[in-house]
Parts: sequence; structure tokens; C-alpha cells
Amino acid sequence: MPPTSVALTPGLTSYLKSLKTNPIDTSIDNLISLLKRRQIRHSRSCATATAYLLLRVISACRTNDAGKLIERVQSVGRRLVAAQPREMVVGNIVRRVLGLIRDEAEDDRDADFNLSEAGSESQPQTPRATDDHSDSLFTRHERPTVSMSTPISMFSLLSHPEPEPSLPGTPASASPSGRLLGHTQTKDIRAEVIDGIGEIIDELGQVDDQIAAYALDHIHSNEIILTHTSSTTVQRFLLKAAAKRKFTVIHAESYPNNHEATHATVSGNQPADEELLSTESFQKPLTELGITVILIPDSAVFALMSRVNKVILGTHSVLANGGLVAAAGTRVIARAAKVHQTPVVVVSGVYKLSPVYPFDFDSLIEYGDASKVIPFEDGDLVDQIDVQNPLYDYVPAELVDLYITNLGGHAPSYLYRIVSDHYRREDISF
Amino acid sequence: MAAPTPTAPDVTKPFDIVATYNELLRSDPDLTMPIAAIEALVLLLTHSPSSTISETLDLLEKSTTHLKKSIPNPIGLSAGTDLFQRYLITTLQRPGQLGPAGDFNAIRAHLLSNGRLFIRRAKESRDKIAAFGRGFIRDGSTVLTNGGSRVVASLLQKAADEKRFKVIYVLSPAKANDGDASPGGDVEGMETVRELRANGVPVATIPESAVAYSLGKADVVIVGAEGVVENGGIVSRMGTYQIGLLAKAMGKPFYVVAESHKFVRIYPLGQYDLPIEQHVINYQTAEDIPDGSKQQSLAHSSDVVDFTPPHLISALITDSGVLTPSAVSEELIKIWF
Repeated sequence: MPPTSVALTPGLTSYLKSLKTNPIDTSIDNLISLLKRRQIRHSRSCATATAYLLLRVISACRTNDAGKLIERVQSVGRRLVAAQPREMVVGNIVRRVLGLIRDEAEDDRDADFNLSEAGSESQPQTPRATDDHSDSLFTRHERPTVSMSTPISMFSLLSHPEPEPSLPGTPASASPSGRLLGHTQTKDIRAEVIDGIGEIIDELGQVDDQIAAYALDHIHSNEIILTHTSSTTVQRFLLKAAAKRKFTVIHAESYPNNHEATHATVSGNQPADEELLSTESFQKPLTELGITVILIPDSAVFALMSRVNKVILGTHSVLANGGLVAAAGTRVIARAAKVHQTPVVVVSGVYKLSPVYPFDFDSLIEYGDASKVIPFEDGDLVDQIDVQNPLYDYVPAELVDLYITNLGGHAPSYLYRIVSDHYRREDISF
Repeated sequence: MAAPTPTAPDVTKPFDIVATYNELLRSDPDLTMPIAAIEALVLLLTHSPSSTISETLDLLEKSTTHLKKSIPNPIGLSAGTDLFQRYLITTLQRPGQLGPAGDFNAIRAHLLSNGRLFIRRAKESRDKIAAFGRGFIRDGSTVLTNGGSRVVASLLQKAADEKRFKVIYVLSPAKANDGDASPGGDVEGMETVRELRANGVPVATIPESAVAYSLGKADVVIVGAEGVVENGGIVSRMGTYQIGLLAKAMGKPFYVVAESHKFVRIYPLGQYDLPIEQHVINYQTAEDIPDGSKQQSLAHSSDVVDFTPPHLISALITDSGVLTPSAVSEELIKIWF
């Protein structure tokens, strides 16, 4: 179902425009088909589209019941993720929204929780309570409660079944015993969640600036920085540092998928790509700020690595174990940097951080248009050989020295902590 | 060992924590050391007449020390006793009926009534781990494992229901010669091997000396642990360390499966820094060996362990999720501070 109402080529901008007018179900189908056809492909575009869609979904849900909201978001989220499982940011945004709803639902209940606690400990320990809700036992500590009553995960073995372990999915048990007052005070969960999604959208807009704020801590005068592909986050980062310091940038292009965009970034002739139509497109290139930029093919990376002081990479998504999925060629660069003991810094917004554990690295790699490697005009050749064009690389955690997110710099081994701060455990597989 | 203590022994008899602990371990082969320790302490508390908090904590402390002293390798069980002690203190401190203001008998009643529940939960956590861990075993892959870990066994069994994979099982040949260590005359892990084979999983058993040779055919190494220490390393059956080193050298992922109640608060700096006596390396000259064979079996008794440092471990699969080794310290900090 292509977006018919808009004349623009299908993409983020046209999608966001159509979102206002189209009915919800059409919008969901539109995004699914956009994702499937890869007409939306940058991480941030996918994240933004997902966030706006969920905003619409929530505001169209005429209910204040957290359980129903969660169900609705889950069902939409599942379809979106199924449409493009490798675009992990979609799942990330869905999980964040689910977490928002759960937080709001629990905040609402918190006061009741403390009251009902004392009375309920003599309750018989039904096996059902532990079976159904054992997951929630582990997640309580993430809630911002101060009391000692928050069970700690290792204690879950010994502790009571939670007096109020119900997920918002079972709202019947959530109604406080004899606290009708608390219920009338219940705030509008939906409005709060919509505000929360608004914050996520704001975060998506600001993430590059926030990351760039750390640039001066990491880029020093007269350093030689190597980067790869045309990541706007990296460009922002370098531009921020370039305002104050003089350094050299070696920019490796990634033929055949990203070289044109890389050339454009270096020369400053951004194509009129409406998907990226934002302030970045009007940015000055680094060269105008007096930075020496050397453009090299990525096959030359190893030869130049001995002269490089720091490698700064953008990424497609970051995984919970500290590994990352980035443009093809990144692993070669990271490996070369390791051999030369050059620090590798990865800049990425927190929204790209996925709680998914990479069980199967191969399944994370997306394969693109083979005609970019050998055009189909070369029919004879194409007939005889198998042409592949992988778009991404999996880079294991041990090749990365530092992650810089909008929250600051983190060691790869610390990422699990940020994951558990941002996503609820019960949402990891929704 | 004293006469077998029933799970609810006579109140008149003085309570023997060591005997209870051993009995618990023997009566239920599925029980892990920390859980047996917790169970023994629960039984102790229900038998003790103490009615004040400090009296109870004191009793707990004394019995724990006694228990630790009487068991040759107390690392695993100390995870349980520590956890229990912290749980008790935290419960007593927090407001509510079980807290300082409440009735002390209430907590005793709670512990008594829930003794079985703890054990069941501990066993359930194995299922949870199996659920988390299934993703690590892919169709057509080969898993190398060792020892007699029940968590690994349950993980492999679960995975066998839905995946086709092969297993290379490292068996310790020393145990086979060592008649008294395994009452069934069985090498540790042989039962798992049989069960897996019965489930249609092709299993190859290899001696420890063939690990390096076989590792090239394996895609992933999955091992169990006796204790997970503060820096994320593991204390495990002797031989695990070398498998870890070899897996690292060959670039194979090395996963540890362990329940989170096995996290223990020690920080070993190396092999010889573990708080236990192990006479693994025995220097001898000819006159030290009056009759040669006796001395050797000691080094290969079933209890010897080694320490696998965290940098060899790709991830820990626990009941609270898949953790990096550095996440272990945080879990421990959560209960201690």
C-alpha cells in the first residue's frame, strides 16, 4: 500500500506528512511496507518514524488502561519488527514506549504498594504467583523507589512472591485494596505516555548535539583521526571539535554502498536527500573550517593506520554485549586499529543500543543490491559468478575501546548497565 | 558421617549443621551447594530456640563458620550462606511485619513454610536459564562442554527438543580410575551424556587431553560453574581454566551457565589465591612415596577446582539474563551494600 496522498518519493518526510491525515491502520501498513522495501533505512529515520507512529497509536487508543495500551503497542511493535528485524532501532523504540507505559502504571500504584505490603505477607504462597510473575521480581530494582522493600534480584530466590507482582497486563489485581481515593487521583496515563514519547522524539533530534558536546574531550590538537562512511553523528562530532582545534581527518569511503555519500560529506555537496533534510544538510564541510581531510578507499586503511591517533566510527546499532553492527568495512578498520593499538571510539545515540544479544552474528548482516558491485549490464559475468553485497559488519566488543553516547563515554563492558536502565526486562522479547 | 538425619530431625537431638548439609546434598542429587547450605541454615533456625535478632545472627554466623570449616571446598556453599545472611538482615531491617517492629516468630514461620519453595525456585531458575540459553545453541552447531553441571545438562536437554546440534563432552579420565569418588562407578557427566544420547543428540566423549585437538570442531563452549566470583570469573571443576584458555586462543565463544545464587563474594587474583587448600601440585622425591598410588588420587579427587578469569568468558547465562562478566560485581554490590 504505497502512500498515495503524497507526491514525494516514499521516505521519512512523506511518511510523517501522511501520518497526520491517514487513518492509523493505513499508517501502520505504510511504515511496514516502507521498512520492508528499505525506503526508510537510516537508524534515526526508522526510530523517528516508529516514535511518531506509536504516538499516533497511543493517542488513538481511547483507553486509560495500561494493560490495553501495552497490548496495543506490543501488537503494533511486533508487526513492525517482523517487517524489518535487522532494523533494531524499531524494536528499541517500541521497548522504550512499553517501558514508559509500565513506569506510568507503576508510579500510579506505588503508594498503594507500600500500604498493601504489610498485610499481604501472610498470604499463602501460591505457585502461580511465582510462576507467572517471576520475571517481574527481577525488574523491581529498576524502579526509582527508595525504600529497602525493593527486592534485589539475587534475593528473588528467598523473598516473598511480590505482594503486588501484577504486570499492568493483569489490571484486575492492580486496583488497590480499599484505596478508592488513590484511584480517583489516577492521572491520565495516556497523556503521560504521549509526553514521554515526545521526549523520546526530542532525544532523537538532539542526540547528535549531545554526543558532539563530548568532542573536545576526545579530539586533541594535531591528531590524525580516521573515520569511515558518512555518519552524521561522526560529522557533528568532528565539526564541533574543528571549531576549536586543528586536526587531520582521514576519511575512508566504503565502496560500493556508501562512497557517494562519503564524497558528498567530504566535499559538502549534500544531495537533496529529503530523508536527511535537516540542519545537517546545510552544514559546512570540515574542509571549510580549515581541517585537512584526506579521502581514501577503505582498502588503504591498514597502510595508514600506523599514523592514525584515533579511529572514530559511526554505527548502525549497538548490541547488549558491547558489539556493534556497522557499515561493511568497519570490522576491518577496527581490526587494523587493534593491530596498531590505536584507540577505537564509537559514537552512537542511546536509541541505537539494543538489548538483543547477538546469538547469531550472521543473521544480523543485511545484504544489499548486488548490482552495485557488478552492474547487471555485465550480464555475462553476473551469470557466471555469485555476487554478494553485504551492507553491514558485526564488530565484536573487544575491538572497541570506548562508546560515546548522549549519556557520556562508556566502556563496552558497561553497556549492559545502560541497557538495563533503558529497557524493562519483561519487554526484551515482546 | 553421623546417622542420616531426616529432613525434620528430632528436636531433642542437638542439631548438626554439617550432617544436615551433607544429607541434603546426598538426598537430592539436583540440589546445588548454595541451596543445600541455605536449606541447612533454615532447618537450623527452625530448630534453634533463639528469639532475638542478635542471638539469631550470632548463631547463624557461628554455624556458617563451622560449616565452612568442615567442608573441604566451601566456595559454593558460602554463596548460599552469605545470601541467606544478607537476606535475613535486609528483611529484619525493612519495615513491615517481618521487620524490627514485627514479630520475630513471623520470620521463622515464613522461613519454615518456605523452605521447599526456595528449593523449587532454585530449580526453576535452571529452566529460566535454559530459556535464556537456548539461543546460544544454533542448528547444526557443535557444543563443547565438561563436568557434571546440572544447569548445563538442563540447558542442553531443553535445546535438544527443538534444535539439531552435536555435543563434544569432555570427561575427566582421572575420575574413572578413582574408584571411590563416584559410587556408581561412573565418570561425572556420563549420565548427562546418556540422557542426551537417548534424546537423539550425537555426543562424542573426549578426554581432557583432547580438548585442544577437538576444539576446532566446536562452535561454542558452554560450561557450568561452582561459584561466580566478584570480578566475573568462575570457580569451576578442574580443567575448565584450560578449556577457557584454549577457547580464547581459538576464538571460540566461551559461555558460563550459572544460577545467580552461585555468585560469591571473593576476589581471587589467580589460581593459587582461592580460599581453599588443594594439594594439586605435590612435589615428591622417591623417599616421599612409600606406596605410590595413594598420593596420586588425592590430586584428582572430585573436589578440586580452578579459577577461570573473566577475560576468558564471553558471557554468563544466568537466571537474571545474559550478563557480561563485569555485571557480576554489580549484582553482588546490590545485595551487600
